[in-house]
Amino acid sequence: MKKKNSIGSAVLSTILSILSLLWVYPVIMILLNSLKKESSISTGTVFILPNKESFVGLENYIDAINSKGFLQSLGYSLFITVTSVLAILVFCSMCAWYITRIESTFSKALYYLFVFSMVVPFQMVMYTLSQTADRLHLNTPWNIWIIYLGFGAGLAVFMFCGFVKSIPVEIEEAALIDGCNPVQTFFKIDFHMLSSTMVSVGILEAMWVWNDYLLPTLVLDIKKYKTIPMLIQYFRGSYGRVEMGPMMACIMLTIIPIIVIYLSGQKYIIKGVASGAVKG
Amino acid sequence: MEKALKKSAPIFVLPTLVAFIIGFIIPFGQGLYLSFCKFTTVSNAKWVGIGNYKYAFSDPSFGRSFIFTVMFAVVSIVLINLFAFTLAVLLTQNLKGTNIFRTVFFMPNLIGGIVLGYIWQILINCLLTIIKEPLLALNSKAGYWGLIILMCWQQIGYMMIIYIAGLQNVPDSLIEAASIDGATKWQTLFKIKIPMVMSSITVCVFLTLTNSFKLFDQNLALTGGDPNHSTEMMALNIYQTFYARSGNQWKGYGQAKAVIFCVLVIFISLFQLKATRSKEVQQ
Amino acid sequence: MKNTKRLAALGMAALMSLSLLAGCGDKVETSVSETSKEANTEASAEVKEEVKVDGANGSVYYLNFKPEQDEQWKALAAEYTAQTGVEVAVVTAASGNYETTLMSEMGKSGAPTMFQVNGPVGLANWKDYCYDLKDSQVYGELTSDGFALKSDDSVLGIAYVIESYGLICNKTLLATAGYSVDDIKSFADLKKVAEDITARKDELGFAAFSSAGMDGSSDWRFKTHLANLPLYFEYQQDGIGTTTAIKGSFLDNYRNMWDLYVNNSTCEGKDLAAKTGDDSRNEFLNKEAVFFQNGSWEYGNLVGDGKFTDDDLQMIPIYVGAGDEANQGLCTGTENYWCVNKEAKAEDIQATLDFLYWVVSSERGTAAMADEMNFVIPFKNAKESSNLFVKQDREYTAAGKLPVSWNFPTMPSEEWKNGVGQALTAYAADSTDDNWSAVVDAFVNGWAAEYALLEQ
Repeated sequence: MKKKNSIGSAVLSTILSILSLLWVYPVIMILLNSLKKESSISTGTVFILPNKESFVGLENYIDAINSKGFLQSLGYSLFITVTSVLAILVFCSMCAWYITRIESTFSKALYYLFVFSMVVPFQMVMYTLSQTADRLHLNTPWNIWIIYLGFGAGLAVFMFCGFVKSIPVEIEEAALIDGCNPVQTFFKIDFHMLSSTMVSVGILEAMWVWNDYLLPTLVLDIKKYKTIPMLIQYFRGSYGRVEMGPMMACIMLTIIPIIVIYLSGQKYIIKGVASGAVKG
Repeated sequence: MEKALKKSAPIFVLPTLVAFIIGFIIPFGQGLYLSFCKFTTVSNAKWVGIGNYKYAFSDPSFGRSFIFTVMFAVVSIVLINLFAFTLAVLLTQNLKGTNIFRTVFFMPNLIGGIVLGYIWQILINCLLTIIKEPLLALNSKAGYWGLIILMCWQQIGYMMIIYIAGLQNVPDSLIEAASIDGATKWQTLFKIKIPMVMSSITVCVFLTLTNSFKLFDQNLALTGGDPNHSTEMMALNIYQTFYARSGNQWKGYGQAKAVIFCVLVIFISLFQLKATRSKEVQQ
Repeated sequence: MKNTKRLAALGMAALMSLSLLAGCGDKVETSVSETSKEANTEASAEVKEEVKVDGANGSVYYLNFKPEQDEQWKALAAEYTAQTGVEVAVVTAASGNYETTLMSEMGKSGAPTMFQVNGPVGLANWKDYCYDLKDSQVYGELTSDGFALKSDDSVLGIAYVIESYGLICNKTLLATAGYSVDDIKSFADLKKVAEDITARKDELGFAAFSSAGMDGSSDWRFKTHLANLPLYFEYQQDGIGTTTAIKGSFLDNYRNMWDLYVNNSTCEGKDLAAKTGDDSRNEFLNKEAVFFQNGSWEYGNLVGDGKFTDDDLQMIPIYVGAGDEANQGLCTGTENYWCVNKEAKAEDIQATLDFLYWVVSSERGTAAMADEMNFVIPFKNAKESSNLFVKQDREYTAAGKLPVSWNFPTMPSEEWKNGVGQALTAYAADSTDDNWSAVVDAFVNGWAAEYALLEQ
């Protein structure tokens, strides 16, 4: 019995290992090709490993970084993601706390509106949102977080509300009696208790904002700002020029930081996704 | 407590509410209104009644994109959930290296849709070259399966995590009791585990369903709708109507299509809500 | 009670958003309220009469169509800014995205002050945005009125580059195969030469035509430029300049030419779908093919260090076996017209007009356009271009050959071009009569359907 099991698990492990290799292959392929000379990358030769002739080291990476303002875009993307996620975490948790604790038509209506907004596809508002953002000049990386806060509020409020319900009111009441005002109460007590939900919401929203393509394309002032997903479009150049090498390098440069962050915090990320999805 | 809290309502609610009004309420209301108008900017809209909807419903490309979306959704939902569940079962067997596998399978989820699309476009085109088939820009079959493979690659890991969480919630005592009663592994799986994770299954099915329906970035980057709009999903069709056609009637058409699309997605979600609720009652 | 509370909250929200409006003033200079915008356009006629003081306060935003010249435009804009202090932003749309980008940018408050249309069809969509250039200095610089895009008696667009295309021919390779360009005077000649080269492909080590790639970076050479020829001959035959119902009288010639490209190419027909413009050019540069269908804009990519010299190359007309082949010249024309956005603020319009005038009349501007961008410009101060293909076009015309005019700006839409392109690609992969009838269908019926949509 035991022997059979260990053979079975060895077979399973092998199958899973092969599957994992297949799983990472696309990324490895991009990595290998990004080290090749541009003329050695074409549909027929992608599977060929770089060799002495085609290997160019980090040349494509240098090209990618230098040519299209990559570092700038990276900075914008980072800034937008960080500010948007912070804003969503702080403001939405406050809002969720309020509408869970106060039972009124107003908070109910608001709750349902938030839930409703979660469902609405972006295409429904893409044009009018870009117009509104433009009118209010929310078209720079410095204040686009307001748009993200507005459009991303649905999911965040929904998830926070689910968790706030499970916090006993008694603790808060005790704090209030001790002389805390509601704001202090919230930040002293609930904010900490919400931390695990914060992680899940933060991860989900960060993944969305970092990878978002259409919203910044339509909203940002393209005269001055491009985010990373927008930038990658520009390598698929122009009238006969597809800069495969630098494009692949750029793809790698975008993926690597995500993978590093993921590997270092994967416990939280996986936990966050699991708890987030089960509630959603 | 209520009183004190109500007084500080502005601090708690206003920041989110204002952003929500700017980022959702106003655009949504305007969008609804504009779907009945002919317009090129919000300020020059002219009321035309339901003309836009008439066009949207009679536009063959929109109907085709709907059928394509449904065909895509059905196949990808089945494949993703089947694979994700199988992986989840395998990875809860205390195998060596479970964590590594989990990490690897989840990874594609973190990569953005545009990037994913380009990666797979390169990969699939190379495969097609080797087997001497027409490439993606010309091959709607390859485009269809390409989208499905891409979607599987991206989503299986995510759904797997949810299933794992569900499976880990199955009490060990139940499984032990079953094995004492002489149940085989398969019996345990079908008689105990699957019924116990029904709620995870509902969640995953609907997550994949809405994800499939709203798919945009991957579609744009992988096939862009080629050849000849035959791999165009609904979101992309709306975008193309809006921005790729010049002429002052197109924006109205696009907005009307968007409203139809929106109603469709809401309908699916309501259905989801109902299904989840009824499952909860059963348990 | 509850309702009043809700109202109060909403009121506060409105207040907040107003203060936000006021708070986000980092770009106040571009914010225009609707009313003042209208007032400005009306007033602009008078404002313009005054000196250019006005333009100095404005700024220019050029949404450029030609990605090849992106860097040159940016450099030129920077120089202008350094000289005059007027800010000039140049944005180039990613390939194939010009209309989408223009569409979304035009909806914004900081809309482009200067954009481009590709001819009468493009103009029809953007007419409401075009400033009348009748009294502008830049219009006065045009060498011929034919280069202006007019609607009634207003001048809405101004051509800024004249281009020619044809078959670029590697004379050295052609000589290796035993021919010279003088042997090719008709479609029959071309077919004979091409098929002979293909028959001896292994011995010669090169093919007749570089790959006719149908990737988005290359398909315009065939769905637009090559398709111009059947269009041109039909218009000639019927004595018209545009039509809403094309008959496709010369589509057999189109098919013959396309067959020739596909069957005598560096690669197989079904591989064409993924071949890019780069692939095709590289084949030509690597001496793998004798002919390369492209235009004068390719000059900079073909001649230079490690590439060809002027002596290697000649551009010959695309003969399709129609019309008077003995007197056929290169396809010469333009599909690039500058337009000025009349919805822009008066000082921005003035700044744009000033910038345009500087570009086409100043020494620096014309030099940049001739030498750096390799443009032939239809303006009085134009600097002689060093472009070989432009010179050859002039020689053809001097020898009495009639240039083939560019009729593709009358194509109904991008959608139509894409339809034809897709059908062509399918036909290249599998050259059956059925697949060709799909091309004919896209060409003829697609044309009528797209024009019907335009007229709605």
